[in-house]
Amino acid sequence: MTMSPAQPAAPAPRTPGPRLDPAPPPRPPARMPADPPGPRGGRLRTFLRGRWLKTIPGRIRAHVVLCLAALVALLAVLTVSVGNARDSVQTIGHDAGPQVVATGTLYFALSDMDAQVSNILLIGREHNLGIGYDNSLRVYEMRRAEADAAAVQAAQLAGRDPALKRTVQEVLDGLGKYERLVGQAMQLDAQSDHAAGELPPQVVDAYRQASDLMKLQLLPKAYNITLDSGAHVRQSYETKRSAVLAGRAWVALTGLIALLLLIATQLYLARTFRRLLNPALVLATLGTVVLTAVGAGLLTAHAGHIKKAKEDGFDSILQLSRARAISHSAFADESRYLLDPGRADTYEQTYLDKSLSVIYPDLGDKPVNLENYYAGLEQKVAPYKPGKGAVPFLGFFGDEARTVDRGREADALGAVLAAYRTVQRNDAEMRRLASSGNRSGAIDLRMGRTSGAIHDFDNYDKALSLLTAVHQDAFDDAIRDADGGLRGWNAVPAAGAALIALLVLAGVRPRLAEFR
Amino acid sequence: MRGTRAVAAVLAAAVLAGCGLGGTEEESAADKDSLVIGVKADQPALGVKRPDGTYEGFDVDVATYIAGKMGVPKSRITWKTTNSSVREEALAKGTVDMIVATYSITAKRKMKVTFGGPYYVAHQDTFVRADAASIKNVRDLKDKRICEVTGSNSWRRVIEERKVAARPVTVGTYGACMDALAAGTLDAVSTDDLILAGFAAGRPGRMINAPFTDEKYGVGLKKGDLRGCEEVNRAITAMYQDGTAQRLLTQWFGRSGLKLTTSVPQFEGCT
Repeated sequence: MTMSPAQPAAPAPRTPGPRLDPAPPPRPPARMPADPPGPRGGRLRTFLRGRWLKTIPGRIRAHVVLCLAALVALLAVLTVSVGNARDSVQTIGHDAGPQVVATGTLYFALSDMDAQVSNILLIGREHNLGIGYDNSLRVYEMRRAEADAAAVQAAQLAGRDPALKRTVQEVLDGLGKYERLVGQAMQLDAQSDHAAGELPPQVVDAYRQASDLMKLQLLPKAYNITLDSGAHVRQSYETKRSAVLAGRAWVALTGLIALLLLIATQLYLARTFRRLLNPALVLATLGTVVLTAVGAGLLTAHAGHIKKAKEDGFDSILQLSRARAISHSAFADESRYLLDPGRADTYEQTYLDKSLSVIYPDLGDKPVNLENYYAGLEQKVAPYKPGKGAVPFLGFFGDEARTVDRGREADALGAVLAAYRTVQRNDAEMRRLASSGNRSGAIDLRMGRTSGAIHDFDNYDKALSLLTAVHQDAFDDAIRDADGGLRGWNAVPAAGAALIALLVLAGVRPRLAEFR
Repeated sequence: MRGTRAVAAVLAAAVLAGCGLGGTEEESAADKDSLVIGVKADQPALGVKRPDGTYEGFDVDVATYIAGKMGVPKSRITWKTTNSSVREEALAKGTVDMIVATYSITAKRKMKVTFGGPYYVAHQDTFVRADAASIKNVRDLKDKRICEVTGSNSWRRVIEERKVAARPVTVGTYGACMDALAAGTLDAVSTDDLILAGFAAGRPGRMINAPFTDEKYGVGLKKGDLRGCEEVNRAITAMYQDGTAQRLLTQWFGRSGLKLTTSVPQFEGCT
């Protein structure tokens, strides 16, 4: 900028003026001496009249100013875009994204608390059935602590959203009430000292109150907290990603403008001074190409990374955590089905509804009941190979199957589907026993330590965790790549632009010197 | 000079191109100044078209509340009767922006429609004559004459899904079922509790309050309108938090003897 202290901004709007002039003045002979410098007061007048633009040094300076202005624009656009890119990776990868996933624990923990209560009540005085009385209580306490921790995350996420804050508060208040109701049910249960599966009506009533509160109020709200905070993340992701992509277009555009201006300067100098190339300007031009290409490339790669983190990571992890929570809740509906024969139909229906949300095989025109569901699983899900061909089922795992990548992810999904079918086969057998009047056989199958329903469900849960881990790795990798890509990009645009500017100045300086 | 002119022309074109670089957000019901909302015209207490052409009912009030939260006042809502068979098509074609019409969320419909809500989870329940004390739950419908309404699959849920050997009797509409029940040619009418409550108003009879399915009444939106769906969910949350939902449920169904849920339902998630 030192070359033309007086005229940086003024000529810029008139960009094409001199070159589009319909009657350009005849090209001045090369090396014509500059206008003799007039008295100091006359300079401004000369500048305003624009006559300086008709002189060679004036035109060179105008070229330089335009080039530098374009470089400043490129620098500004790059800085803003890289800032947006940083924000996006911060939100998805480090702040809200992981927190939203953490709130998913709330639903799971609450749902599993109620599952443990139903197990304890179902086994009655036979404390060694299932995972055992003591173990169930321990798990209950652990889930209680997890629910509290997740609620804290949710409260932080709620931030300035009063509706979300209120929902979190309602869950916490409701949880207190739920614990009181569970306490009463447990006390009645201990007093009645009943055999497994033979609950006295007052215990069933007390449990119904607690479980209804959980099912109708706490769980829906917990679920909605994750959905709503996830919606905030989705919206900020959409905004940031389109800002990054728009930024990339602006980088390309400003880069192109800078490039064209540099070429124009080069051409002007070549014609005017009858020289082939100005080496410094050539370097500046190449530098602009490199800076623009690398900047646009970085933003493209970044948009790809956060897309992968969002879709292959965040979305899938949330989906699978819902599938896991709902599966646990459905599994608990089996013990509720056994402990409360008065509501067995309802619990069978909720079991079916939950199972359908996990996997919904195409049943054709057949009525949607458990019998056809089991058959649908064997007919449609069993032959399905993850990653190959159309997906013949809907539900959480249907969504997962439709986006599955071959290799580790497909293998993990295959294991989940196989384990899920085993769980459902146990369910069919358990219900067959219960409805044929063999309640103790059904309770043994469901709660026995050796007979396998719990063991098989644990296997399913482990397979599901492995599949989630695949997505967690994809998420971590994408975020690491995004972070790594941006490293150093605080300094690169500024340093690059400064270097190019210096090269431009170095390139024109000897030419201007010819007029001194 | 021709070279420089070409450069100038390219520059001008590039600058013009630059003007179009703003983000292009897809169309969403959340951005509209006015909304066309699909409702039912023949469901008492849910969606009814009055002789003067206006609509009333729980669904209509819910839709009005949601639209209000999305910045569309009542005066800029156009109501449109949307029958069950044309709902997916109407949303896809854009003849309606939103459907609030006892529209159950199902896995199959979710492939074609983005659902906000549910704003209420209805359950299939059964309405019997006041003196039919022996019918306490769905299993007691064995050998009883239940209503089979053409085009509705509620009777299937009893006979095929729950495998209760009831005897279906074909009747044209739920209104006619209620008449037949009162006249004694039927023993029970079984369908969504809110629909039953609407038809039951002012009739003698008893709701048995033994729900056996979940019918998630959702707000249908054009497939992919995630932003609109999220806005709808926030509106529904507000509707339950500020007491409007409780007030509307009591207003429309309070006298039916139906057990109402006044806590916000579990949302389906916007997909």
